[in-house]
Amino acid sequence: MLNHLTANIRIFFEGAYYSYRALFRWLRPATYLASKVFAPLTMMIFFVYIGAYASGSNNASFYVIGNSLIFAASSGIFGVTMSVGGERWSGTLPYLFGSPANRWAMFVGRAVMHILDGMLGVFIGLGWGILLFGLDFSHTDPMALLLAILITTFSTSGLGLLMGCLSLITRNVMLVNNTVYFSLLVFSGANIPVAELPRWMQSISQMLPLTRGVACTRTIINGGSLADVLPLLQVEFLIGVMLTILGYFLFKVFEIQAKKKGTLDIF
Amino acid sequence: MDAITVNHLNRVFKSTDGIIKRKVKEVVAVEDVSFEIRQGELFGLLGPNGAGKTTSVKMLTTLLIPTGGTATIMGLDVVKDAAKVRPRIGFIFGGERGLYWRLSGLDNLRYFASLYYVDEKVAKKRIPELLEMVGLKGREREKVEGYSRGMRQRLHIARALLHDPEVLFLDEPTMGLDPVGARELRTTVKNMQSANKTILLTTHYMFEADALCQRIAVINKGKIVALDTPEKLKENVQDLTVVEIELYGISQDRIARIKALDFVVDVSVEDRDQRQVLHVHTPKGPEAIPVLVENLNGLRLGRIITREPTLEDAYVRLVGGTEN
Repeated sequence: MLNHLTANIRIFFEGAYYSYRALFRWLRPATYLASKVFAPLTMMIFFVYIGAYASGSNNASFYVIGNSLIFAASSGIFGVTMSVGGERWSGTLPYLFGSPANRWAMFVGRAVMHILDGMLGVFIGLGWGILLFGLDFSHTDPMALLLAILITTFSTSGLGLLMGCLSLITRNVMLVNNTVYFSLLVFSGANIPVAELPRWMQSISQMLPLTRGVACTRTIINGGSLADVLPLLQVEFLIGVMLTILGYFLFKVFEIQAKKKGTLDIF
Repeated sequence: MDAITVNHLNRVFKSTDGIIKRKVKEVVAVEDVSFEIRQGELFGLLGPNGAGKTTSVKMLTTLLIPTGGTATIMGLDVVKDAAKVRPRIGFIFGGERGLYWRLSGLDNLRYFASLYYVDEKVAKKRIPELLEMVGLKGREREKVEGYSRGMRQRLHIARALLHDPEVLFLDEPTMGLDPVGARELRTTVKNMQSANKTILLTTHYMFEADALCQRIAVINKGKIVALDTPEKLKENVQDLTVVEIELYGISQDRIARIKALDFVVDVSVEDRDQRQVLHVHTPKGPEAIPVLVENLNGLRLGRIITREPTLEDAYVRLVGGTEN
């Protein structure tokens, strides 16, 4: 029993490590810098200035924080989806499903590296905020900030796992991903205050991951304590857990579906 | 106990077409297939492209759910006991996909060892042994993207053997390999059989099945059309002689005319560059040549020979003549 548990923990972490290296090794230093450092910078500048132009106020920190967390969502959604979809493209999906490996360890483990990567993305975004827009951390509790970023990245990775399992039944998962990603740009409060949205859109915002994470991170950076944001963070965490569990069950359902339809190795 | 039993296995694929009026199309890939494979036997599943070989292997390796019939591996049902079947089998599919190209050969093996719950100590010992066996020792730290096709195929074999499975499925393992690579791989397969593994090998290369397999099932259009030892299969055509005629540009009408001759049992046409080779199976032997030449009047003919039938001729006769 204990041996099996140890073996599953090994699959969880080795799977995370090897699948990341196998499927994301194209991210060499130059491509990593371009996609994870400079592309987010241009996006951040875009939203800071368009936000200032549209609202007439100069509240750069609102957009810097919002977009830094969008980078986490990008890593969570696209990265995690590709970590499942990439198996289809490399033709390794039948070999994974033909193995006796525990599906939970194999599936959920894939999110680990992307959570770390997403957190790094948030730090890079906030770093640009300090350098270019004078983002002020003088009143920030660093541990509370770290926790908020970790939980937000986890919850968006949960959404990535949910999207990723769609790769088992369709080749065109990236179309769905793009829609989900742009929905987060609109609904999460990263660029438009949730309170400014029409009521029906606000209801959608409250159901999504990221919304509460963005709000918590803003509060913490502006001097709020962990206690102030804890209820919201708990819900954000819960959303992440629910998405992960739902993703796992769909993964199991779609595995059976793919075996019934014979779509496992179509690429 | 048989290592593999297959009882009336069926697989129908459904596909839909159209946006508003969706048409459902059904393709029968495997139909009423039954056979048994003894423990330690090297069994060949031989058939042309699209005959149902890979579909059969996918069902036996738990990757595809049959639409009818049952199959067991070491007494375990491939659908109901799929989780118990997986640790006991190893499989490879032909072609180059299915490996992580950006990882080294060694990392590929390490990762799959963990997926198969191979103890770390055991893996450390077994991986170098397997690398040695498949001739990749010294190249294991290179990325798979730099491997030749043959090396990738041999890495696949090492991967399939990591957990020391009792039953192996090799689906066209020599597909696309150069002759030297294919020969090396066949030697590896022979070695695996001497290690008392039960092996199901699919191929459309006759000589490969003849050289390796103890028994062969010939599958065509989803159905088993013959099942026997290579020798017995050859016996089916031993009363015949094969007349081979090299020619240029034979038409379907002319083939039909040859087929209709009363002393002709079967005809197949093989393309060789610009030439074609007509294989005519006949009990008449060399005496058939003048009549055949007369019926090919007007065509440019090359070399004409007669020979003893081979397993390939038996196979061609079983799966139908004019397929190349």
